[in-house]
Amino acid sequence: MRLGIPVETYPLEQRVAASPAAVERYRKLGFEVAVARNAGADASFPDSAYEAVGATIVDQAEAFGGVDVVLKVRAPRLDAEGGSEVDLIREGATLISFVAPAQNEDLLKAFCARNLTVLAMDQVPRITRAQSMDALSSMANIAGYRAVVEASNEFGSFFTGQFTAAGKVPPAKVLVIGAGVAGLAAIGAARGLGAIIRAFDTRESVRDQIKSLGGEFLTVEIEESGDGGGGYAKVMSPEFIEAEMALFREQAKDIDIVITTALIPGKKAPLLWTRDMIEIMKPGSVVVDLAAENGGNCEVTVADQKVVVDGVTVIGYTDLTSRMANVASDLYGTNLAHLLKELGGAEGWNVDHENEVLRGALVAEKGEVMWPAPKVEPKAAPAPAATQPPAKPAATPQAASPKAATAAATGGSPPIFSQKAIAIGAALALLWVVLRFTSGTTGATAASIFVQHLTVFVLACFVGWQVIWSVTAALHTPLMSVTNAISGIIVIGGILMGMKNVDSGAATFIGALAVLFATINIVGGFQVTRRMLRMFHK
Amino acid sequence: MEYALVSVAYLTSAVLFILSLRGLSSQDSARRGNAYGMIGMGIAIFATLTRSGMDSYWMILVALVIGSVIGQRMAGSVAMTAMPELVALLHSFVGVAAVLVGFATYLASSHGGTIFEIEIFVDVFIGAITAAGSVVAYLKLKGSLSGKPLLLPSRHMLNLGLVGVCVLLAIPFVAATEPVPVSVIALVGVTVLALGLGAHLVAAIGGADMPVVVSMLNSYSGWTASAAGFMLGNDLLIVVGALVGSSGLILSIIMCRAMNRSIVSVIFGGFGGEPVAKPGGAEAAQPEGDIQETDVTEVVERLLSARNVIIVPGYGMAVARAQHKVQEMAQILKDAGVRLRFAIHPVAGRLPGHMNVLLAEANVPYDIVLEMDEINADFGDTDVVLVIGANDIVNPSAETDASSPIYGMPVLQAWLSKFVVVMKRGRSTGYAGVDNPLFYHESAHMLFGDASASMDGIVAELRAKSAVAVG
Repeated sequence: MRLGIPVETYPLEQRVAASPAAVERYRKLGFEVAVARNAGADASFPDSAYEAVGATIVDQAEAFGGVDVVLKVRAPRLDAEGGSEVDLIREGATLISFVAPAQNEDLLKAFCARNLTVLAMDQVPRITRAQSMDALSSMANIAGYRAVVEASNEFGSFFTGQFTAAGKVPPAKVLVIGAGVAGLAAIGAARGLGAIIRAFDTRESVRDQIKSLGGEFLTVEIEESGDGGGGYAKVMSPEFIEAEMALFREQAKDIDIVITTALIPGKKAPLLWTRDMIEIMKPGSVVVDLAAENGGNCEVTVADQKVVVDGVTVIGYTDLTSRMANVASDLYGTNLAHLLKELGGAEGWNVDHENEVLRGALVAEKGEVMWPAPKVEPKAAPAPAATQPPAKPAATPQAASPKAATAAATGGSPPIFSQKAIAIGAALALLWVVLRFTSGTTGATAASIFVQHLTVFVLACFVGWQVIWSVTAALHTPLMSVTNAISGIIVIGGILMGMKNVDSGAATFIGALAVLFATINIVGGFQVTRRMLRMFHK
Repeated sequence: MEYALVSVAYLTSAVLFILSLRGLSSQDSARRGNAYGMIGMGIAIFATLTRSGMDSYWMILVALVIGSVIGQRMAGSVAMTAMPELVALLHSFVGVAAVLVGFATYLASSHGGTIFEIEIFVDVFIGAITAAGSVVAYLKLKGSLSGKPLLLPSRHMLNLGLVGVCVLLAIPFVAATEPVPVSVIALVGVTVLALGLGAHLVAAIGGADMPVVVSMLNSYSGWTASAAGFMLGNDLLIVVGALVGSSGLILSIIMCRAMNRSIVSVIFGGFGGEPVAKPGGAEAAQPEGDIQETDVTEVVERLLSARNVIIVPGYGMAVARAQHKVQEMAQILKDAGVRLRFAIHPVAGRLPGHMNVLLAEANVPYDIVLEMDEINADFGDTDVVLVIGANDIVNPSAETDASSPIYGMPVLQAWLSKFVVVMKRGRSTGYAGVDNPLFYHESAHMLFGDASASMDGIVAELRAKSAVAVG
């Protein structure tokens, strides 16, 4: 099968769907790769670098039309010079790129008209298994980092505090709104430059992640979880938003740099940084709005522009990832390679509808719109199941760690009685039947004594069951050796053979032998436990 | 009155045993727990010895003394790495004692009753299984027997057949009202068969499942004591046996969950070394990418420039006896300001909690030794992960590859960190016989060689480097 890597024609777009390293990965999966001339030029990948790893250099039309699978970053443009890019693609071929199907209905129609199979990188489900294909996260990470770099460019002071002979400079104070992948990357980058970081998010679950990167977590005093599932935040109540705004106004007086990253899927970005907050901010402050493409979190943001309002610079670049086109292309190419592998490579190519990842990404096939994918059986439990390892709860407005969705628990309400309970009931019934019939022959005393013992036994099992679960895992070996010692209690059985009413010498001797073995066990078990426990210390 | 006194003594020791197990719920109270156990045992033995009607003291006392000396010697000298073997061996003694008590009780009894005889029969049966199974487990752990499972043809039928014959033997045994040659032969017969059954059951279980086997045998030894209690009409034996039996069962369940294996399949054996049928072309299952090797110098540089380091120890660390070196490295890094923690997978090693004991022996404070659930979320923020002699417990295919035999087993997500160093003796697979894509992962770097030697190198280099940094 042949892959085509066309030139990205979207304004300001500098990325490309494959770095030479990614081409190598594609080729390992068995694909031939055709790269359009100068496709990687803006990302600092010359054609020769592609040729060196075995790609053929073709013209743009060939990269679209002469291949089985077209790999792109941006969705094909319907309004490109010289006609729609969708029509350049060979009929029935496959396209993999960002699509944003919710906003691009016309595009989906064009795909169907052309009979294309289209996989949208932005629709790859955010589950653990698909992490390596999660292009939204890898791009958000870059955007978050770049936002800090852009801010520092405009900011007229140091990020880190300095004591110089000429005086003291306080460190910059950065507020990050929305601690998703982009927000966390911004926190990390700004922290690395030495700034003081505060971060706001509606989701309590990201508190620890913010702290671990050295940021201070800001929150409002209203109990409301902002977790909207799938790693995104949801729309909050008016009271909450009011409290949030009050908090922002308070912060605006103090903050030098604001980076906003709040997105709610399928909706216009929420307005979080209003005009009056800009007025409150000190002149020379900087706002970077990562949501500019979706309407912006800041009231005065102009997409793709840098504007100065009341002395505050507001940056609304939508091409932050393109400003780091080299690494962005490389990471995107790796995401694509993982998806191609999921598709079975060149040999086992199969757009499997049973595959959760592929079905999620599939937006068009055989002339039909396949988006949105049918909801998979409810996988995410309302609360993370206790038995699961704590999933890293990195959901966020901009982009979320997909792990949050993996705390899977099987749905459905359990029957009142488990199979186990039924089995135990059956066993008891059987016991009753056996006793009912044997007690007639062997005498009621033996049976009733047996039942007495059984009572003790069952109760002791329950006690043991309750007690042992509280033993900490680190002490399982000592637990084992101490229970080992305790099970030497069988020594009593041996000792009893030495009683007067035992008139068999052989029995007494065998009993003594049993005592010998059991004693080894008791002394050995306790002794070794003592040795082990002595070693544990804080 | 006499009976009441003994009963109170037994009740006291039963309570003490429960407190003893309860004490093990945390490191702080564990030593007190062990002491409770000893006191309980002392009271039980003393009360039994002093009850009226005791006759032949000397033989019992001699046995007690000899047993104590042997036990003391064995436990006093065992190395912590050999703990699994010792525990398995001790289990077998319980089994042997139970069989002996069963025989003695039978020979001493003049009148029976069906229930009583069945109790003797069951006691001997379970005791013999425990004894033989433990001996085989001991030999396997010690390395005298191969860790590979012994897979006889139609082994399940063989097991069933053995059980069936035992049931048949019970008929003449129960029919005889007092010890006669036929019934004694039947009892000996069942002992022999149960020994064979126990040995076969454990022989069929592979090396990777050893932690489960040891805890199952622990459980069996408890049930054995309980069976003896039924036989002798002794409530203390019943209670203690039940406690120990549940304890072993719970440990087995925990281990099985940690390996995502059903307990039934482990008991009936055959998993641990089953040839992994590679579906289709074997190349398809071959992880992509190349193994990247690293050397001590690079590892040391990474360690010193890291902020967060996690160490994942496995059985390889125990084999190489590298725990002291690891502690030394941990100390140096701690002094250099690196945040260092240990991540322990529930089935690391050959015994539940094995790694914790080894690290404790090497003086690693237990508050930096964390369980999988506590630490798994932190791997993403970790600069360096050091995997020392572990394999299956860090295998990403447990999460990603549905065709992998260990698919679904919770694993330590070491691959999420920025730099993973895997110390390994060679390129072989782990006990489960599964290839590990972690080794081909872009963040993974292999440090081949004996873990102890590698650790020596790292510690020496760390000392040199950090001395320079300080000086």
